Amino acid sequence: MHAWIEFGSGPLFRLCFALMLLGLARIVVLTIIGMVEAYLRNDDKIINWRELIGKTVSWLFPIAKLLKKRPVYSLVSFLFHIGLILTPLFLAAHLLLWEKSIGFAWFAIPQSLADYLTLIVIVCGLTLFLMRALYGPARAISRKQDYIWPLLLVIPFLTGYMCVNGRISPATYQWMMLIHIFSGNLITVMIPFTKIAHCVLTPLSQLVTGIGWKFPRGAGDKVIETLGYKDRPTWVEQPRLGLEKVTTVEKEAAEK
Amino acid sequence: MKQLITEEERKTAFKFPKKEDAIERQRLPVRYHVEDFDVENRPRRFLEAFAAILKHTNYRFVLDHYVKVSAKCSRCAVACQVYQATGDNEDIPCYRSELLLSVYRRHFTMSGMLRGRIFGDPGLTDQHVQEMADSLWNCTACRRCYFECPVGIDHGMITHLGRYILSEIGIAPRALVVSTREQLIGKTQNTSAIPVPALLDSLEFLSEEMEEEKGINIPFPIDQEGAEYLFIPAVSDFLMEADTLMGNAAVFKATGGSWTIGTGYFDGINYGLFYSDHVLEKVVQKIEAEAKRLNAKKILIGECGHASRSAYFFYPTFCGGKNALPVINCMEYAFQALKEGRLKLNPDIVTERVTYHDPCNISRPGWIVEQPREILKAFCKNFVEMTPNRRDNICCGGGGGTVSIDEIRPYRTTVGGRAKAEQIRATGAKYCVAPCANCKKQLRELVEDNDIDCEIVGLHDLLYKAIIFDKEKEPGVTKQDNSSNNEEEI
Repeated sequence: MHAWIEFGSGPLFRLCFALMLLGLARIVVLTIIGMVEAYLRNDDKIINWRELIGKTVSWLFPIAKLLKKRPVYSLVSFLFHIGLILTPLFLAAHLLLWEKSIGFAWFAIPQSLADYLTLIVIVCGLTLFLMRALYGPARAISRKQDYIWPLLLVIPFLTGYMCVNGRISPATYQWMMLIHIFSGNLITVMIPFTKIAHCVLTPLSQLVTGIGWKFPRGAGDKVIETLGYKDRPTWVEQPRLGLEKVTTVEKEAAEK
Repeated sequence: MKQLITEEERKTAFKFPKKEDAIERQRLPVRYHVEDFDVENRPRRFLEAFAAILKHTNYRFVLDHYVKVSAKCSRCAVACQVYQATGDNEDIPCYRSELLLSVYRRHFTMSGMLRGRIFGDPGLTDQHVQEMADSLWNCTACRRCYFECPVGIDHGMITHLGRYILSEIGIAPRALVVSTREQLIGKTQNTSAIPVPALLDSLEFLSEEMEEEKGINIPFPIDQEGAEYLFIPAVSDFLMEADTLMGNAAVFKATGGSWTIGTGYFDGINYGLFYSDHVLEKVVQKIEAEAKRLNAKKILIGECGHASRSAYFFYPTFCGGKNALPVINCMEYAFQALKEGRLKLNPDIVTERVTYHDPCNISRPGWIVEQPREILKAFCKNFVEMTPNRRDNICCGGGGGTVSIDEIRPYRTTVGGRAKAEQIRATGAKYCVAPCANCKKQLRELVEDNDIDCEIVGLHDLLYKAIIFDKEKEPGVTKQDNSSNNEEEI
């Protein structure tokens, strides 16, 4: 058991973490390449950087937006994200591992705060799951991974909390720690390949949209050429099946 | 969630105005008419068009980003007035976008293709194409949901792209296609098919009427080379919005601006913004050609949201980037004149309660939001706001070209516009100022069908009523304007 824990928090974590970093770097670089390519392809280089960066910042720190639409959901989701980001990075026990692993660490948050944040993540994660399952529109657009993620994310927090507060734990410390470490590793390695990739892509979204609305000149003609309409009329020039049938359709409309 | 429309209204809103045999022939049970087109191998042709568009445009990296980042939080549902009216899951913006994103994921990403192979997924079906053809035209492309998406997905752009692909395989509302055809290759070169002599006649008539009413000669300058502004209104203004046009002319007269209407091309309407990048580009280039012919210095768009947006944001795109001629809206011009004291307004003419409707295309980017309000507050004593307003406004319900599809009026005035109707009713205003040709047509139908006692007018309609002419000073002395820096984000 102890060997598994050592393996999970040592070599396996390093592997998962490296895969995550590489995966995230890949998608960020690909997105940036896409943006630069599009920017260079366009004649129109007028981008309102200030507006786009302002929007990005306002969504990274969405305090002002919390209570405007769907306040309960927004607040729960906001708290969930705060706990999710702060706890793994700034928990004292994790920092010891960082120190051991990469030789340096940073400041830690007090244990009591970490405890509260952990509880917040657990409660908010379960609430988000329930809201998704019970709120009609959310259910309508949810995929499998959307249900799995909040529950999966809660597991390391729940087991981590039990490791620290042993008396509420249903199993031994070792078991809890094992689940904690392996679920954490699983999450880490899956981040770049699932929707959790939004953790690095969201800061780029507004720029992507801003540049995406700038079109390359002449693209429409090239599309038509590629589709083989060079020698026959396009839909603008002539309805596909000739004018006869259109007249019938027009008659129908007139009858209406 | 409380639904905005009753079950009864819902039934009428979604009634097909089409004949059974047309539906069968075209295999397209949508509420708008389409021209007859090739229905064989539709999924394959859709994918071909999609691939060609991805190859030559910038959409690929955007879609790549969107499929990865989409978290399906459903926050957009509360922002969509269509969803709020119907309560149908199909009308959630994220659901609608997923229709196209799923096709992209399945056919244009490595993981999707692999998964398709492994699980034997047949890929795009004819039914899916039909669903897109229906759903993408339910959206009014108002882009309110974009402001609610925490991960920054612009569903308006996906709607735009989806319609573009569909139009390339022949699926687009006939009303728009026929107008576009007339505009691009027809005799009259405008969407309303107004011949030049008829245009000149009606302008002369308007001039005479203004002289009668105001006692002063207010001309419409035609084809004047070297004028500062080439005036391009939505062409339907020449037919339906005489008051707005008279307001435009009066403002120029009072401020002494140098402007002209070109007989070579005078239509600001650009349906390409709604359904085809190709058309968008061709129409914008027509404006460019006319501006070059007349050697105009700036392009001035009339009261029309989509015409303004398509010229303001896409003129640089298709006509030379930063070197393109500046494009401004007539309300910006009037506001500038008001600030400089060149435009004088009588505050005792319009005493009724006035409210302002923000057309999505100009308010959502934060471009024209405060200017019309400042103008209205300068001469309307009883000005009230709708809630929500400004960049968070609710669409009139006829956006995205749907207003031009006459056969879906029941849909527009219930599903599309009920939220707006309630907003207008709540203000109790006598005049609702809607500086957009699309919004005006839609809102008039909306107040009629919803029994609201409110007159829909343009901003320049009211300016025409209240404008004061400085009769001692002859025009042509001052002409200065400060065109904005063309940098708002779309």
